[in-house]
Amino acid sequence: MSGVNLSGIVKAYGALQVVHGIDLNVAEKEFVVLVGPSGCGKSTTLRMIAGLEEITDGDLMIDGRRMNRVAPKDRDVAMVFQNYALYPHLNVAENMAFGLRIRKMPKDQIKTTIDDVAEILGLTPYLDRRPADLSGGQRQRVAMGRAIVRHPKVFLFDEPLSNLDAKLRTQMRAEIKRLHNRLGVTSVYVTHDQVEAMTLADRIVVMNDGRIEQIGTPMELFNNPANTFVAGFLGSPPMNQMKGVLTETGAKIGNTELRLHGAINGHQGRDVIVGVRPEHVTLAESEGTTALPINLDLVEPLGSEALLHAHHGEDNLVFKADTNGDINHLYGVGTVHVPAHLIKLFDAETGRALNLGA
Amino acid sequence: MSDRNSDVGGIPIEEVVVEAQEALRDRSQTRVPDKNWVKVLDHFKREWQIYAMLLPTLIWFVVFLYKPMYGLQIAFKDYSIFRGVAGSPWIGWEHFETLFTNDQFLRAVRNTIYISALNLLFGFPAPIILALMFNEVMHATYKRTAQTIVYLPHFISSVIIAGIVITAFSPSAGIVNTFISWLGFEPIYFLTQPEWFRPIFVGTGIWQEAGFGSIVFLAAIAGVNPSLYESAVVDGANRWQMMWKITIPSILPTILIMLIIRIGNVMEVSFELVILLYQPSTYETADVVNTWVYRQGLQSGQYDLAAAAGLFNAVVAFVLVMTANTLSRRFSRTSLW
Ligand SMILES: Nc1ncnc2c1ncn2[C@@H]1O[C@H](COP(=O)(O)OP(=O)(O)O)[C@@H](O)[C@H]1O
Ligand SMILES: [Mg+2]
Repeated sequence: MSGVNLSGIVKAYGALQVVHGIDLNVAEKEFVVLVGPSGCGKSTTLRMIAGLEEITDGDLMIDGRRMNRVAPKDRDVAMVFQNYALYPHLNVAENMAFGLRIRKMPKDQIKTTIDDVAEILGLTPYLDRRPADLSGGQRQRVAMGRAIVRHPKVFLFDEPLSNLDAKLRTQMRAEIKRLHNRLGVTSVYVTHDQVEAMTLADRIVVMNDGRIEQIGTPMELFNNPANTFVAGFLGSPPMNQMKGVLTETGAKIGNTELRLHGAINGHQGRDVIVGVRPEHVTLAESEGTTALPINLDLVEPLGSEALLHAHHGEDNLVFKADTNGDINHLYGVGTVHVPAHLIKLFDAETGRALNLGA
Repeated sequence: MSDRNSDVGGIPIEEVVVEAQEALRDRSQTRVPDKNWVKVLDHFKREWQIYAMLLPTLIWFVVFLYKPMYGLQIAFKDYSIFRGVAGSPWIGWEHFETLFTNDQFLRAVRNTIYISALNLLFGFPAPIILALMFNEVMHATYKRTAQTIVYLPHFISSVIIAGIVITAFSPSAGIVNTFISWLGFEPIYFLTQPEWFRPIFVGTGIWQEAGFGSIVFLAAIAGVNPSLYESAVVDGANRWQMMWKITIPSILPTILIMLIIRIGNVMEVSFELVILLYQPSTYETADVVNTWVYRQGLQSGQYDLAAAAGLFNAVVAFVLVMTANTLSRRFSRTSLW
């Protein structure tokens, strides 16, 4: 069994339990992203893997070996920190060499390793500079370089891009993905940014309040969120959620009935949450759609698309619509058309996804 | 939502920033520049509370440091109390010539430099080492207790400190000599023997001030980014390596600043402590410029000669601090000003 395996991992600070038992298997060479709102325990989980936090309960295995009581340096992991954690008094080359020197790697070997990695990261011209004389993106790269030179079994990233501006973040995201494809090192990546999670991950782990809500590939999570939390977290903007009641042929939201695809047999009268992705509605009626009357509040143009902020009854909704180069025609929108087969249903009480008749 | 997409109301953050910058630029171009004195007046009107808080310090400086400077001129005058500062005739460098042909003064200068050098060598690293040691102590209660114990001597008056030292080293009842005779040696008359003055004086100074001095360095250590240590832990560094490769380089600027200040005070060997611990039999090693000035000026009434010696002291200190500051700025980008 290689990779990283967590089973029943719990973290408590005194009486306060912040991670409530996490089960997760990260396969070898897999890129897994932990995503969730701030304070949900992502960093704590990652730091337990790194050995920076003691594991209160459960088992952590790396490469088949139980690591709970193993010192961080012997876990063969490398971590990239949000604030880069570069040594201000050392230059780029020395920063990258830090871990290797500690491990007493011969000098000439250190030099070739660093030259290679600097080449990969485009840092060769900056090897003599101090961190203070680098841009944010370059510092980020040095932090990555420091992890890469160690050739660890596992990379751990704790929000490595959140100190960068939006443009650089997009760039570095692509770079991390390329690096992972090239190096193929098992990686656990923490972020609160769902776009980062979607774009980088082989598999996403959505966390909330110290628990895992769902694990799956980005598209699995996007297409079949296990509950309202995941539905409301992934996607931008996230899935619309409306309170409704099941009828014989569909779901009634206020006075409107949305027709549904599957069989509802036996579930009539059940309270549900009806989920509709902003990008799934159309402005024109077509086969298999139901009209949903809306009160338009605001149109936000994004370029080729626009966001329609609206409400239906008490539910605030957001929809995406094509602009075709002009948004004037969107101001008159009073109905959107919801395709039956793309509607998601969740139990109103538990928030869990309902798969009726499927 | 803005949290996840880094946008402000749907507009990407870069655009918002660019707009804000443009708005700022527009405003600064259209505003008519105020006259300088209007700006200063505006500034005082707005910030007068801050200047009010500065006032006590300013007054202290004027009364105790700047006003006495007027009296410094007697270093170049044949001063007598009856003629007054202004009425005494100028005599040029005569006092300085007297000083530099005076064996006692020259001895005091040598002693000052010697004791200062020892202070710098042993007294300066002591609080740093103490701070580094405290930093390694994990047990919170133990750490607090230990810190309190080493801070304590700072808050005790030098008179009592000297009393404790004199008692401890007393040949008859002192704990040190009790121990020495217990080991089977003859008691030593520490405080009457010139060769013992320097170690006892420097040691007392460290005991009194090292703990309190460590606060500055502890504060500097507390300011080091904790993820530097975490990163080093993951990289495999042990505590010793972290101290040498992270903590010490990180607090180096603080160390240098404190060193510059210390060098500026080289001529200011703790006057009270010397007065309290020395006696005529140890003048040979113990008499420093300040104590000599005190004896000449206040006890023998040679105010003008004492002023000349004091001025010499100040000039040396000034040159030293300027040199140290310049060197530090050149070699480590750290300086007091
Ligand atoms: N040393 C600590 N003592 C007590 N509570 C902590 C400590 N560190 C983190 N927590 C709490 O644990 C929870 C999870 O924190 P963290 O893992 O940092 O969240 P995030 O998902 O934002 O990375 C938070 O509620 C935080 O307040
Ligand atoms: Mg975090």
